[in-house]
Amino acid sequence: MGSVAVVDPVPTQRVVAELDDAEVGRRFAAGDPQGLAWAYERWAGQVHGMAVRAFGPGPDAEDITQQTFMSAWTGRGGFDPDRGPLPAWLVGVCRHKIADTWAKRARQQRETEAAMSEARATPSGPVTAGVDTAVADRVLLLDELDLLGQPQRGIIELAFFEDLTHTQIAVRTGLPLGTVKSHIRRTLERLRTRLEVDGAALHA
Amino acid sequence: MQHCTPEQLALAALREPLPDADTAHLAACERCRAEVASLQRAVDALAVPQLAAPGAPVPPPPAVWEAIAAATGVTATPRPEVLAGAAPTPSLTTVPPVAEPPATRDGASVLAFRSRRRPLLLVAAATVAGAVIGAGAVAVLGDDGSGTPRAVPVAAVDLDPLADSDASGRASVIERPDGSRVLEVDLRAGDLDDRYYEVWLIDEAVQDMVPVGVARSGTVDFELPDGLDLGRFPIVDVSVEPLDGNPTHSGVSVARGVLDT
Repeated sequence: MGSVAVVDPVPTQRVVAELDDAEVGRRFAAGDPQGLAWAYERWAGQVHGMAVRAFGPGPDAEDITQQTFMSAWTGRGGFDPDRGPLPAWLVGVCRHKIADTWAKRARQQRETEAAMSEARATPSGPVTAGVDTAVADRVLLLDELDLLGQPQRGIIELAFFEDLTHTQIAVRTGLPLGTVKSHIRRTLERLRTRLEVDGAALHA
Repeated sequence: MQHCTPEQLALAALREPLPDADTAHLAACERCRAEVASLQRAVDALAVPQLAAPGAPVPPPPAVWEAIAAATGVTATPRPEVLAGAAPTPSLTTVPPVAEPPATRDGASVLAFRSRRRPLLLVAAATVAGAVIGAGAVAVLGDDGSGTPRAVPVAAVDLDPLADSDASGRASVIERPDGSRVLEVDLRAGDLDDRYYEVWLIDEAVQDMVPVGVARSGTVDFELPDGLDLGRFPIVDVSVEPLDGNPTHSGVSVARGVLDT
């Protein structure tokens, strides 16, 4: 337990006002419980906003937000404060939780349909043919994004998740246009390969 | 024939507009199109609004922190007023304020996102709508001659069906004596199950848009925000929206007209 685990609320407020986001990220990474509380204070709204956008307000979204912070905390070893800000990392964890939940639901629906068709003793129709492959693709692809180095990862995330054009990405990152274009190309190829290798196996 | 460069094909997979020569080549070359499609599978899976960068924050209810604290054993707590602020009936900020055009706000990427990611219907529709600019628009200004100011239509346009839809109608902008404006939409369209019609005002680039309100077959009046520049958002668009809690344009438009203001 870190020495600042129990902090008098009044001084805490003063400290928080002065702490910059990077320091909160370092405390979080170091396993300081107050770091988790501060991270929640600052970024739970953003994370929950994403969850609500994906599942609507209510228990599902709350579950995503809760899972995001819990697994971010237990998996904090995977967060490197020198490689990027904590809120961006939390948002990435939240994306995984959303995609995992979609995949879980698709699986449950498949099982239900299979069970129903068995119960009706219908001649085995291709009940599972309509399964949304994008649901499975997402889980794989988010894993692959985690493996990308910088600046490749930042570039493709700006294209995918902030809807920036390659010109806007060049402006935002300060990288030359040609560099941005060739990173985009190579990353899309890499994602395609991942889908060809593992995506196919998944659906087999 | 010169094929598109690999980089251009990657940009096409992201649905970025290409230079004319590449666009023309792509339309004619099956090999290049197949390459775009193979790269696009990842784009289509990940570049969805639900995974987009956070927009408007929504404070979670206090029970979320309590569960996290219980599960992690963390006794430090966020400041009480932060948790309290998150307390009952969170006002849902997921719907962008109508009066603020999205392009001017940081959190606006959600709208812009959908509009670029689903450009096919919208752009095709803009071309259709372009053909009717001016054609159906009238502008009647002034009073009725009695000297008494009254509500007057200042612009009107026929809403023409898009793609295979059979929806149509007419939109009129009416100005009241106090200067406030109403958009009156007379829609002729089939009833929907689990979906609804929504009216939007969109700019000519089909990039930025203002949600006006929920419509149905028949006549519905929508109050327009003061200061909303109809010259900037001249396209009246009717979309079909799923009941998915997602406040952005679905990309499925059924009728459209362009106001000549």
